[in-house]
Amino acid sequence: MDNNTFQDYENEIRSLEEEIQLLTEMYEDRQQESTFFSDEEILMARRSFQGEFHGGSKGLESPSDLKAQLESLETDLSFLMKFTGIQFTNHSKKTVERTRNRTVRKHRLSGNCHSLSFQLEFQLLEVQNKENVSAVITDLSIILESGEDSDVSKFVSSTEEHGNLLTFFRSLSSYAEWYEHRRCTFLHFK
Amino acid sequence: GVIAFLARLEAQAREAAVKQEELERQEEKLTRLKRRVEELRLQRDELRAKVDLQEKGQHGKEGVVSESAQSSAQAVVEWKIKSIKAMLQIFYLTGVSGKLTKRGVCFCISTAYEGTYLDSYHVDLLTKPEVQIHRHSIPIFIPLEQIANKYLQTDIRRFLAVLSEHLNAYVGRRYQAEQLQEHFSELMEGPLQKNSLCNLLVFNYNVSRKSKAFPLNARLLYGDLCRSLPTEVTVTCTPGAPAALAELATAHSDLFRRVALHKAFRSFGTAEESME
Repeated sequence: MDNNTFQDYENEIRSLEEEIQLLTEMYEDRQQESTFFSDEEILMARRSFQGEFHGGSKGLESPSDLKAQLESLETDLSFLMKFTGIQFTNHSKKTVERTRNRTVRKHRLSGNCHSLSFQLEFQLLEVQNKENVSAVITDLSIILESGEDSDVSKFVSSTEEHGNLLTFFRSLSSYAEWYEHRRCTFLHFK
Repeated sequence: GVIAFLARLEAQAREAAVKQEELERQEEKLTRLKRRVEELRLQRDELRAKVDLQEKGQHGKEGVVSESAQSSAQAVVEWKIKSIKAMLQIFYLTGVSGKLTKRGVCFCISTAYEGTYLDSYHVDLLTKPEVQIHRHSIPIFIPLEQIANKYLQTDIRRFLAVLSEHLNAYVGRRYQAEQLQEHFSELMEGPLQKNSLCNLLVFNYNVSRKSKAFPLNARLLYGDLCRSLPTEVTVTCTPGAPAALAELATAHSDLFRRVALHKAFRSFGTAEESME
């Protein structure tokens, strides 16, 4: 009975526990990503969600806590959309890879900024470092309404090439305002 | 004689008993560990099978419904919470996100260089009696007060846009300098000198690992704080350097003004290869 045997078993236990955690997270992520509830279903669930109290997998959160959390999140989201002018109409993601330090997800996003609509697809790689999580965008593909404008197509291609998602949104905001302003001006003169 | 003998026997018996106990304890521990490993292996295999099924599309919505006749209201609410959190994370990627607070809004400005997200900064605003900055994590060398005085009262969106421009440019300049030090250290001659705003860079470098006799000196001034390319570049070579290097210095003066620093250095490698 030497210490090595114990060490081997303990190592295996630790690696199994870690694998189980990763698999569980992967499973839950994919569950989340492949499920969809309509607005009516959500409304009904919120109304009927009074007496149930299952404890839940994340610890004991009461129905009122969860509802309050949902309301607060919705308020934040609706404020952001109004403030920035960016309305997301659809978002779906798929977890492609999940290891101890890396998570890779494919995102599909559609929405509009003022009256300009867009559709995006990209891959997001998140790496856990010692102090923080780093995020990198790859495989960015953008479809932007009013792409006939050659300056806009040049901008979109260059943005796609460098994965410049942040610059895209920052520019989109100001371009959309200008575009809207121009459109209204033209209509005025018609 | 006898007493000593008996004492010795007693001690031996005690020793044997202790050894026996220890052996039993170790065996017990081993059994426990073995059992735990088997438990975990089983759990892991079940999970793997679940995930495989999921991948083949056998779950989907059914997976949630199979827990009970209809999805529990709690599961639906939890699902909605997760999906809104995911949406809020997307806003982080757009560069401006935030959270309403009791007395105003706390904005989060994220920065990125091309596809790589870098630091994020907070500005906590109060909205009454007038818009004011309560707290922030903006570095001191960013002209926050100037920008706030110009835009905060009249156009918060513009305030954030301008602040974001400054922060992204700063972070972009810093990123280029860091990439240089990280990936091209063997071409650098001595330390890379920069100020905290990263808008003045001075360094000595060679274009090839092989010839280090006449390092070039570069001085980059980024006059526009909202840009991550320099407005003024001076590249000089050490006295006595061959004419070819003097030409290179002129070419680089122009190159560094148009191309990001680390990308410019990357092009040295390929230029060197094409010359061989």
